[in-house]
Amino acid sequence: MAKNELAPKAARIMNITRETSDTKTFTLVFTNPADQDAFNYRPGQFVEISVLGVGEAPISITSSPSRKGFLELSIKRVGQLTETIHALSPGSIVGIRGPYGNGFPFEDVNGDNILFVAGGIGLAPLRSLINYVFDNRRDYGDVKILYGSRNSGELVFTGELDRWSGMPETEVLVTVDRGDEYWQGNVGLVTTLIPRIKLTPESYSAFVCGPPVMIPFVIKDLLKLGFREDKIISTLENYMKCGVGKCGHCLLGGKYICMEGPVFKYSQMKDLGFG
Amino acid sequence: MANKSIKKDQVKSLLDKLAQSNQLIAPIQSEGITLFKPVKSGEGVVLDYQNALVPPKDFFFPQSEKMFTYDTTDPSWAITPVDGVPNRVLFGARPCDVKSILLLDKVFDAEFRDDYYLDKRNKTTIVAMSCTDARHTCFCGAFGISPGEAEGADILLTDLGDKYLAEVLTEKGEALVSSCGSLFTDDDGNGPAAKEKAVAPAKEKQMQIGLEGVKEKLDNMFDHPIWDTESLRCIGCGTCTFVCPTCHCFDIVDFNNQSSIGYRYRCADSCQFANFTRAAGGHQPRPSKKERTRQRFMHKLRYFVDRYGDFGCVGCGRCIEKCPVNLDIAQIINKVKEVG
Repeated sequence: MAKNELAPKAARIMNITRETSDTKTFTLVFTNPADQDAFNYRPGQFVEISVLGVGEAPISITSSPSRKGFLELSIKRVGQLTETIHALSPGSIVGIRGPYGNGFPFEDVNGDNILFVAGGIGLAPLRSLINYVFDNRRDYGDVKILYGSRNSGELVFTGELDRWSGMPETEVLVTVDRGDEYWQGNVGLVTTLIPRIKLTPESYSAFVCGPPVMIPFVIKDLLKLGFREDKIISTLENYMKCGVGKCGHCLLGGKYICMEGPVFKYSQMKDLGFG
Repeated sequence: MANKSIKKDQVKSLLDKLAQSNQLIAPIQSEGITLFKPVKSGEGVVLDYQNALVPPKDFFFPQSEKMFTYDTTDPSWAITPVDGVPNRVLFGARPCDVKSILLLDKVFDAEFRDDYYLDKRNKTTIVAMSCTDARHTCFCGAFGISPGEAEGADILLTDLGDKYLAEVLTEKGEALVSSCGSLFTDDDGNGPAAKEKAVAPAKEKQMQIGLEGVKEKLDNMFDHPIWDTESLRCIGCGTCTFVCPTCHCFDIVDFNNQSSIGYRYRCADSCQFANFTRAAGGHQPRPSKKERTRQRFMHKLRYFVDRYGDFGCVGCGRCIEKCPVNLDIAQIINKVKEVG
């Protein structure tokens, strides 16, 4: 029988960056150059990553398709598979299938000012779009990035946050839920940053990603500010197995998050029984 | 295509013949339980059964199936696909179960084609069997299924006393008939009328359930208190999903028994289990029985319709019969209709 959609392709770990005590970013290149060339993705899509003998899990792609020849996955150590992946070294091979899901509607927000709101590892999928926007800077207006994590040790992509804050027409605000002796910046939930930015909601699209508990609070505040429901865009996650709309795990209100999602406009999320 | 018939005393010869050049899957009885099993001949095949305990879905979408094998020490990271199945004949599937295979086609022959399923589906000729009787839990009529019709089957047999009417429905069915020489003879022309009479009891005895407005009501019942009350007695055993001919949820698991040689397999999973939706990071979108009970009925009667244009239930009644606490999809349908 021919290899099918559920059979992964081999990819080599080229580089590993330690982001926090439990999160690493892996740079991957398919071992077969034809697989690498054929791997075209959109910001917001995800892959299923496998370790043979251990299992498979869905992980969002954090690199931007505007930078070709590799893909990056930021992986938080939360279970058996991610524990195994964290123990791998550069040169190791993992399985990849995908890309899956719809990705962010970056064409629809062409010309808009863009607000990104991220919590914790939720910055990983947004980073793909943020870098895509910076690589296509003329297509978008002002960029504002609000990022929060539980404490300063859990902030990911800190170097890139600094780089982004130096970009033209860009504002980056970072906060932590609980301050400590190493942290001199803002303290408070990411929602406390929202009133601190000056913006005209009608000219903005917002992209929101973070823990499931965070998303509804951010959306509520954005709606209060006057954001349109179809201009608030989030990316959801559910336990998944197949990634191709069959195994049933990620079904939410009749939509397969792996197929119709993971990116949804708030106007769609309301119908899914979310929030 | 012309109707054929086959004398009852010829059926064993037919099954023997089919088993020579195909894998033959037919209903057999053991310890009072009817199940579809691969058989080597017509010996022991039962033809007067009501329906099998579990649907023949297993031969298209097995409860557990190997996807590929691998050797974790292989530096080239080669994975070996599994072999396909031989040509097969599924004999004796009831119309409800045949319809369920058409519904599974919608899932597995979709945007991403599932080669595991399609290999088995394409290599299987389905000989269906009309129902001449109904169990007290049957309600296929609610879904527009007739005990005497089997769209999706290649041949439909109907018990007419001393013979079976054989309606040849597809080219695959024609090929099967022509490979069996003189076992089939031309129908005398009375077959269709006799069939209507034969299947009439199955139509009359089954539960008469109407689905008018049910889907539309469910569209607005996500937060309805019916899910609190109806889920109370559920014990989360998942039996309903394991006997269901349309349930298609699966898990994907690696197995290597402490050796470098292993395989990845998929196996039936159930939305009635808490682990079905619990993510490693702790996220749990369906934390209680309420959400899980709602999911099963919503999926069958609302989401499947939205996605595939058809209900995800065929009225076979297995979940009603086997539920240890009498959670009954037919009753749920009636209760939804009563909601104001």
